[in-house]
Amino acid sequence: MQLGEFEYLMLTAVARLGEGAYGVAIRQEIQDATGRPCSLGALYTTIDRLEQKGLVKTSMGDPTPQRGGRPKRMVRITPKGTQAATTFYNAVMRASRGVAWSATK
Amino acid sequence: MTRIAWWMVESLSRLLDDGEREVVRGDLAECGTSAAHALREVIGLVIRRQAVLWCDWRPWFLIASVVIPIGLLLSYASRSWGVSSAHDVSIYWRFWDFSYLAVPGWRRDVIDVAVRIGSGCLALVGWSWTCGFVLGRLSRRTVWLTVLMFAVVVFFGTLGTTIAGQPPENPSLRYHVVFVVLPRFFRTFLVVLPLAWGAYHGSKASPLPLGPTLLGVAVLAGATFLVSQGLERSLVFGGLVRADPGPDGFLVSADDPRPLWFLSLVMMWPAAYVLKSLEPLSPRSRSASSGASGAARSRSR
Repeated sequence: MQLGEFEYLMLTAVARLGEGAYGVAIRQEIQDATGRPCSLGALYTTIDRLEQKGLVKTSMGDPTPQRGGRPKRMVRITPKGTQAATTFYNAVMRASRGVAWSATK
Repeated sequence: MTRIAWWMVESLSRLLDDGEREVVRGDLAECGTSAAHALREVIGLVIRRQAVLWCDWRPWFLIASVVIPIGLLLSYASRSWGVSSAHDVSIYWRFWDFSYLAVPGWRRDVIDVAVRIGSGCLALVGWSWTCGFVLGRLSRRTVWLTVLMFAVVVFFGTLGTTIAGQPPENPSLRYHVVFVVLPRFFRTFLVVLPLAWGAYHGSKASPLPLGPTLLGVAVLAGATFLVSQGLERSLVFGGLVRADPGPDGFLVSADDPRPLWFLSLVMMWPAAYVLKSLEPLSPRSRSASSGASGAARSRSR
């Protein structure tokens, strides 16, 4: 399964957050990791795409007062998603072997 | 300014699915996002969602087969019939006398005018409703945009053409009512409102009632038959098609060639689709439409 960079970042964030993975938390994780803003549009269209590929599953969480009584969209990584992220990570690691990016700057 | 921005956020988020709208509003509330930032976020999401929808063939098919061709025809027909109906009504209003009804020739003329105006109005409403139904049923999530495009084509399709001749330097109120207000009235109340009404029905997954729908399509077919020549003439006199008077050299006579006879069929294809949607659901699709997968399929349109 081919993954894009942003899809990999999202799968990683979802895996790290575990049971607490939902829109706002995932977005915060991605922003913290990349130092770049992540829009709601990019977030939810990517979640949909990953769900269509069978890499994540989503469900509606309970409404909370903090959210004005509105539900969260909970996201959970599937075994297929774990495999795709692992493959991507291994490919990046292999490709990076012997290259010291920090030294090239 | 902030209130306007939040109002726009609320309005724009209506273009999202119900579930997603609630989730997004919840996210914005949880983050304590400012109104301007929330507006940017929602606009970005709506644009992305619409872009995905427009990757499908259905909205493009609807633009090519309904919005542009039928919208243009309705634009010409509504203007032409609006003006001609205004002429007829204003003449009878001015010179009306009940003694006309006692004279067979006059009576026939009154009936002819009433049938022409009535069938024209019926045809405009029916064509528009069925077009709206097709737009809503075939591509529910793009319906607001396709209906908007249709309305734009209807209102501006005749731009730059006229059937009123040279307008007077100081147009009278009557001139204004006949040549400006009435065609717009026809377009608004007999085309755009039925279009929106049909789109609303088409967007809903519920089936149409068999009897009233069959009756409605039959009435529309009858009205289309009665106004078919008027539809063709609205294009000829509107300047869209070159006038050809035939061998006798007179326009609007029996020997006029009718190269546009097929336009009635074009106008009736949405009605044919309405009839097709009356087909009973198969057991498989019935169970699918009542379950989650049916909802997902409906969302994807």
